[in-house]
Amino acid sequence: MTDHEPTEPQTDEPTTMPNPESATTAETASDELTGETATVDADADTAAESSRPAIAATDLSHAFGDVRVLDGVSLSVAPGEIVALVGPNGSGKSTLLRFLARVRAPDEGSVAVGSEIGRARVGYLPQQPGFRAGFSAADTLEFYAQFVDEDVDVAGVLERVGLADAASRRVDALSGGMTRLLGLGRALVGDPAVVVLDEPASGLDPGMVERLFGIVSDLADAGVAVVLSSHNLGPVERTADRVVVLDGGRFVADDDPRAVVESAGAVDLQTAFGDLVATEEVTGR
Amino acid sequence: MSAGDRDGDIGDLFAIAARELRTVVRTPAVVALSVVFGLTVVAVAAAGSGARGGYVPLVLDLVPFVEALVPLLAVALCYRAVLSDRESGELDVLRTFDVSRPAYVGGVYLGRGLALVFVVFGSLLAAGATVPVLSPPDPTFLALNEAADSPVAFLRFSVLAVLFALAVAAVALAVSAAARTARQAIALAVGLLVAFVVGVDAAAVAGLASGNLGIDAVPLVLAASPNGAFRSLVLGVAVETGGSTSPVAALAGLVGWVAVALAVAVLTAWRPVE
Repeated sequence: MTDHEPTEPQTDEPTTMPNPESATTAETASDELTGETATVDADADTAAESSRPAIAATDLSHAFGDVRVLDGVSLSVAPGEIVALVGPNGSGKSTLLRFLARVRAPDEGSVAVGSEIGRARVGYLPQQPGFRAGFSAADTLEFYAQFVDEDVDVAGVLERVGLADAASRRVDALSGGMTRLLGLGRALVGDPAVVVLDEPASGLDPGMVERLFGIVSDLADAGVAVVLSSHNLGPVERTADRVVVLDGGRFVADDDPRAVVESAGAVDLQTAFGDLVATEEVTGR
Repeated sequence: MSAGDRDGDIGDLFAIAARELRTVVRTPAVVALSVVFGLTVVAVAAAGSGARGGYVPLVLDLVPFVEALVPLLAVALCYRAVLSDRESGELDVLRTFDVSRPAYVGGVYLGRGLALVFVVFGSLLAAGATVPVLSPPDPTFLALNEAADSPVAFLRFSVLAVLFALAVAAVALAVSAAARTARQAIALAVGLLVAFVVGVDAAAVAGLASGNLGIDAVPLVLAASPNGAFRSLVLGVAVETGGSTSPVAALAGLVGWVAVALAVAVLTAWRPVE
């Protein structure tokens, strides 16, 4: 059982974006004929809007040289949904997350965020977040806050990720776990509707892992779509709405955690994961 | 609360420039190198005969040092600027904030360029200040043509040195954007430094010696490297010796290096997704 429910229905396939121009034309034409159909169409539009995924990746394929890491995968995430991407080391999780964050382009396929393809911001926590040395945690977030339209409560962001007491500490004096939390804070600057987190719990002690997944749960409750990769399958099983298992460039499972566990005939996600993928086949990517 | 109301590319550019400037000021190695540069320039002025002879002799004393040391300083400031952001992953994160490539590269160049201008111009002004202190008093029994040697000539030289520094900084920034590893960046930067400091001059000499290059073409060949262009401008504009210099070609050479280098930096900083 997950800690929360997504605010919108899940969709396994990317949703086709409605064409705003054709919708407007349909409304006008109907209005001229009956004067009432427009309301129906507007309601339909609202319904379409609400069922629109926060982010949709379609037919992503990518290869590094001769090694194909993604082979036509598609992923759609609803607002308020937490999708956990799991897979063996080198299975292409980080590559897929970079595509979702739109900091890299796949060989084939596309990523659409919200209603505007290629424009809306995606919050991104890289696998190894780095910061400009010599600046404090607060300075760092202040710097990034200049790139968003909204006012940013930097102290509030630091409080949200548990770094309020480290606001004035230099980033090069932060522990590995605190650096990761600051990376999470940076991803949250500007309140993006989609957040992509690459191994957010890596290197964190158990208490911090729980705290981090609590933050993730709070984000989803606020309607943020979260896609994360993690090897901490216990918290993933408790928190994620969907688990997507990536192996050999394809999704070998994509369902809610309980269904994945049951379909594998396992007792928990850790065991199910072991059954689903050949963990010894580490490709080194 | 941090201010929002983003001002687009210009606002992004200034935000990045401010951080670059603060980074340079907080980097001990760069500060130390800047101090060494300043002390060296002042020491050359104080120890050599140039400052005792006036501003123009001081300019001629300083030209070889500036030609060698300014590129070193500019490269040290810029050769890893983009690369270090890429290695730390900050470049990826900046991209998620929809920062454009021209704003990013322009900001890095502006911030580091300002630091460079401050160090180069400040050091040269300090060196120029030694002239009134060290030069002997004017003999009262001779008529003097003071127009031939004035602080204005030295000021022109200092401004040209700043332009030279900015041209090399742009090239170093292009190296930092194009290189994919620190080793690659160092190799490229050293190669370009050698080419600038001795390569083009050596090519001109070889061309003249072999007869493949006419004397009229020398100013154009020299303008092809930032060092040669700087020297031509100093001789043609600052000390006005005339001779075989072409200030226009030299200025075009420096501006061309800046434009091409920044274009390379913008194109190679990252590959656009859409």
